[in-house]
Amino acid sequence: MIEDLFFLEKQTYKKSFIHDLDARVKIIVAFAAIVAMVAVPYSPLVFPVALVFLVFLLLLWGLSRLSPIVYLQRLAVILPFGLFIILVQVFVQNPYYEVFTPILDLPLGIHVYAESIEFAGILLLKFLVSVSFIILLSSTTRMQDLLEGAGRMGLPAEFTLTLGMMIRYLFVFGYMYRKINESLATRCFQASDSRLPYRYRLRTLAFTIGTLFIRSYEQGERTYLAMLCRGYGRESHLYIRNKPLFRSDRIFLVGGLFVVIATPVLLFVHSLHIL
Amino acid sequence: MHIPDAFIPIPQAAVYWIIALIFIALSLRWARNEMRDEKVPLVAVLAAGIFAIQAINIPIPWGTSGHMMGAALAAIVLGSPFAAVFVLTLVLIVQGVLFGDGGITVMGANILNMGVIGGFVGYYSYRGICMGIKNPYPAAFIAGWLSLFVAALITAVEMAIAGTFPLEIGLVTMGLYHAVIGVIEGGITAVALYLIFTARPDLLSETKGVSS
Repeated sequence: MIEDLFFLEKQTYKKSFIHDLDARVKIIVAFAAIVAMVAVPYSPLVFPVALVFLVFLLLLWGLSRLSPIVYLQRLAVILPFGLFIILVQVFVQNPYYEVFTPILDLPLGIHVYAESIEFAGILLLKFLVSVSFIILLSSTTRMQDLLEGAGRMGLPAEFTLTLGMMIRYLFVFGYMYRKINESLATRCFQASDSRLPYRYRLRTLAFTIGTLFIRSYEQGERTYLAMLCRGYGRESHLYIRNKPLFRSDRIFLVGGLFVVIATPVLLFVHSLHIL
Repeated sequence: MHIPDAFIPIPQAAVYWIIALIFIALSLRWARNEMRDEKVPLVAVLAAGIFAIQAINIPIPWGTSGHMMGAALAAIVLGSPFAAVFVLTLVLIVQGVLFGDGGITVMGANILNMGVIGGFVGYYSYRGICMGIKNPYPAAFIAGWLSLFVAALITAVEMAIAGTFPLEIGLVTMGLYHAVIGVIEGGITAVALYLIFTARPDLLSETKGVSS
């Protein structure tokens, strides 16, 4: 994951309408979309809501002028664990349905149920919408802007300072991680090489991890001492200057929130009328 | 083990958030009071290091690979389970918000599983075993294994309560997979602890049970 750090940062430095929006606005809209999507009950109502959200997302991604390949590449890294849980759903019953209709009988008493397929689809769409908004947010907003945006919205000073330090040093360790991998490769060491004894591979990796731990601890000590020299103390905090929201930010905020809140509410009311 | 968004309904996710927030507040208090001289920045930089450690691919005999969680290692070296809560909270925020690994609404559950359960199980099992066998390395191995295994079982139980994964299948699959990965977590925790003790014994000076 740390390998993608530099790729991610490169995307955030591009210019577009979405990139230029205030981080606060993007955080609120993205988080509201995720909460709204998750809050829709596990029911077929998820399908139309997710469809509207995905169209909205497609529009925003188009406005961000980022390549669709960036989205697909990032999605491919995130999907596996969620997909595993979703695939298993097809074969099992869940508490959200009362009657299960088997549509396929497999050996060992395994059945595929129509309702379970529907439930797997519901989970997949909810999951897809949630991660897509995170991909959009983190591909169009610099880490420092995210942090300052969160700080302006009231994230406690303890967190803005520590998260700020962590983000800064992520890049240091990103480079370190790359260098460690390169130096292991120059010694013809590959963790997946089965010709090397397993114990030897594990020991080498354990020493690498131990070294990384010590190096990060020592980096922390140096940073801490350097901060002390510059007057760091109990009351220190990350300085975040005030920043007004522009008209475009306000319009996007209102529009975005309207889409993510009104869509599930209106579709819910509509479904009640149909019933 | 990172639960994604949508796999736990909002009301349950809120409960896990509240529990996690209590532990986050306690870990902040620990960082302010217990660590000498306000060493909060040190832990923040260490969290970035743990993020890199979690990225290292570790081979598993039958062809796949796993990653370290690092909760037990952080708790043992820094001498408190709250160290793991603090470090893992920072790591999980970055993983969730920047990389989409672990959800936003379920971040409380993820912090609870990996930071709180991983850290507390790892630290106290290490301390307990150390008192019995007086050798820190087997203790670190078992602590590393247990921290991952118990966290995985709790994750399976949470998903079962959410109704998104059956309890029996969850316990068996998550339990078996993490029982194997846990051997690696434990092994690497023990060897890394050995290395840290050899290179920087002063770091472990406050960790009871490690003797030269």
